[in-house]
Amino acid sequence: MPLLEATDVSKTFGSFRAVSGASLSLDQGEIVGLIGPNGAGKSTFFNCLAGDMPPSAGRITLDGIDLTYASADVHARAGIGRTFQVPATFEDMSVLDNVMVGAFLRHAHRDEARARAGRIVSLTGLRPDQRARSLGTPGRKRLEIARVLATEPRVMLLDEALAGLTPGELQEAIALVRKIHETGVTIVIVEHIMEVIMTLTRRVLVFNQGHVIASGTPEEVVRDEQVIEAYLGRPFRREDRRD
Amino acid sequence: MTKLPTSRVGVVLLAAGLLVYPLVFTGAFYHDVGVSFLLAAIAASAWNIVGGYAGQISVGHSMFFGIGAYTPLLFYTLFGWSPIAGIPVAIVLSLGLAALIGLPTLRLSGHYFSMATIAVAELIRLLVSTWSFVGAAIGLQGPASGRGWWDLTFRSELPYYYIFLAVLGLVLAVTAAFESRRFGYYVRAIKAGERAAKSLGVPVLQTKMQALALSAVFTSVAGSLYAVKTGFVDPGSGFGILVSVQMVIIAALGGAGTLYGPLLGALILIPLQTATNNWLGGGGSGLTFIIYGGIIVLIARFEPGGLMELWYRLRAKRWRKLDAAA
Amino acid sequence: MIAVQVIVGGLLLGAIYALFSSGLTLIWGMMNFINFAHGEFVMLGMYAALLVVVWLGGGPVTFGAAAAGALFALGAVIYLSLVRHVLRGPMLAQILSTFGLALLLRYAAFWWFSANYVSLPGNALSGTIAIGGIFIPVAQLVAGVAAIVLTLLLQLLLTRTLIGSALLAVAEDPGAAMLMGIRPDRIQALAWGLSAGSAGVAGALLATAYPWSPSVGETFGLIAFVVVAFGGFGSVLGSLYAGLIIGLIQAASAFWLGAIYKDVVVYALFVALLWLRPQGLMGKA
Repeated sequence: MPLLEATDVSKTFGSFRAVSGASLSLDQGEIVGLIGPNGAGKSTFFNCLAGDMPPSAGRITLDGIDLTYASADVHARAGIGRTFQVPATFEDMSVLDNVMVGAFLRHAHRDEARARAGRIVSLTGLRPDQRARSLGTPGRKRLEIARVLATEPRVMLLDEALAGLTPGELQEAIALVRKIHETGVTIVIVEHIMEVIMTLTRRVLVFNQGHVIASGTPEEVVRDEQVIEAYLGRPFRREDRRD
Repeated sequence: MTKLPTSRVGVVLLAAGLLVYPLVFTGAFYHDVGVSFLLAAIAASAWNIVGGYAGQISVGHSMFFGIGAYTPLLFYTLFGWSPIAGIPVAIVLSLGLAALIGLPTLRLSGHYFSMATIAVAELIRLLVSTWSFVGAAIGLQGPASGRGWWDLTFRSELPYYYIFLAVLGLVLAVTAAFESRRFGYYVRAIKAGERAAKSLGVPVLQTKMQALALSAVFTSVAGSLYAVKTGFVDPGSGFGILVSVQMVIIAALGGAGTLYGPLLGALILIPLQTATNNWLGGGGSGLTFIIYGGIIVLIARFEPGGLMELWYRLRAKRWRKLDAAA
Repeated sequence: MIAVQVIVGGLLLGAIYALFSSGLTLIWGMMNFINFAHGEFVMLGMYAALLVVVWLGGGPVTFGAAAAGALFALGAVIYLSLVRHVLRGPMLAQILSTFGLALLLRYAAFWWFSANYVSLPGNALSGTIAIGGIFIPVAQLVAGVAAIVLTLLLQLLLTRTLIGSALLAVAEDPGAAMLMGIRPDRIQALAWGLSAGSAGVAGALLATAYPWSPSVGETFGLIAFVVVAFGGFGSVLGSLYAGLIIGLIQAASAFWLGAIYKDVVVYALFVALLWLRPQGLMGKA
């Protein structure tokens, strides 16, 4: 049985169809990439998976348990953790306290939560007593990953968690994601940087205009006619501006 | 690491100071100011739980204060019960009201909660001032002279002072206890970003409701203490907007969302209020409101973290200077 | 016949509610910000009208325009000096900024004008006219009709003009608007000016027909919340319908239940609405 399964998920906003009939079946231990031009529906699909918004149609299950209409905190408890495209760290709290909020999900006692959070923070190389406010974008993205990790997710959804990094930082971040994957966490990555997709994932889903237009290994999809057309050779359409 | 002992010493000094204050400054005036200070600090600390820590800004907390003040006096008037018996009833009523307001509005953005609190507080004040069962515009009175200690009607201010001090200690102890525990982390996370908090498994509505409930309970107790001490309550002193404003301004001035902020706020505002009332007489209350409004605007505009935040910032700056010099 | 009289009176007052509430809804819709001092803007509009009449004389058009202008300026100044700085701040700062301002303005008015009720000294709009057996004070009729016209003009300004498009653009995406050559701060100051100005002129219209004291600000502020909650946040036309309905409900409850219950009924309706129609509170009608 697949670990995470999304079947025919659609999401409409008024008359606008952001996602139509997207499906994803994810096995334990996979890393899957979601790519596609801006406004293709990746983020909306992602938000449905994370429980941020309920889909208009379709079904989402984790390990056979129906989570379609469950809220984000229930998704987190069930084992789906996510980062945000624009980092949403708790600005006035320290790095350690940020991570502790996540750690409290599985460890009600503060000493256990603190110990768990401390271990995770040391993994990321951030300074535990630093305020989130004083971190740059790379630090925040890293903190978000740490925070999600502290919830001990079975599936981790990374929404452009590696965007905007320098080449050096990018290599470090890729190594971090690998390390997390090696501990048995299943990962879904939304990413524009093909290098990340090519090095980390074995399987890629390509979104365009709300549909999954191709899937396969990264090597296969970059050769796919439709994918090339979606990215490059096609007249501009108005709907594409929506995200 | 060196921070802990100094703060402990501070707590001990503060507690000792509050304990001996009425023994050092004897005389009705000083005791009266002391009792007012403690009551204001209790109410502001109670507001601080939902307004400061959880960031859900109530501008109608007088509804809980008023219920706390009216209920014991109502039961005394109706059945001759000791006010002590009315206090838990008031708590239950306040919890019910908290659920009534919180459940629909705390799902939505913070503005709705604020609007609902001000509307409901005003609605209750209007109803109470026309309802003769609760004394309408005249209000209710408690026992003129106590039938025993259980009527909590004392000639001297001293018993009130120590009862209020004990309650303040309790509120601060509860706040300090949750501050370092899961609930404290959850409320701060919600205040910082609801969506992110939710994504980490924080049950947002439930946590906000708990904060509101805890806050309502202590605010209700503050109202009860006020009623037993003055032996009298009317719509203005129980449900009036000044009651809500005082809680907000004291907590925000000292530092909303900090343990000792409300204490600091009360320490500044209550003596100031006593002084202006003495100088300007009863007619000065309008001017007090103007000053309060001005202070609130200034805090919001320049220092939303209150004096505690300002102090931390200045201290950090000094340390940096010392570091640079070393 | 008396019922018709009550209905007409309620609708005419409700039209003024609609006018000042559309100012509140404009700010809410544009920047997701609730102005707790909006009722005080109405109250200041009333006193502005009074001062103009007492000091300078002049008819309804003069003091109406003066109140609108004075409050427009006040609104813009308040945006630039206060609101602009708290918009990105914590919720505490957002709510307390205008809540404190409301207290400041309300009690400054008490201090300055005293708590006594006042009314505009006899002006051109005295007298009563009879239409089909019901009697309407001329002042109420003129104020109510003018309020409807002004609300519709505000709606036209927002939907049919360049200014309206600029306001909408800033509300949608201040960053993108800036790239189009619109300066968000100026536009938002303009929005605050329009919002306070509509409250000011509504106050001047109220002043022609009804006596008042500084405490009316609190009542009108709460009524504006109720109207906006009914009509949908951000919708001027919604405010128009809702304002008329609230005016009607208020007049009816004052007549059949007693004058002291007219506000009780409206606030109770607000609480009921929170429970029964929270989606109406969130969505734009």
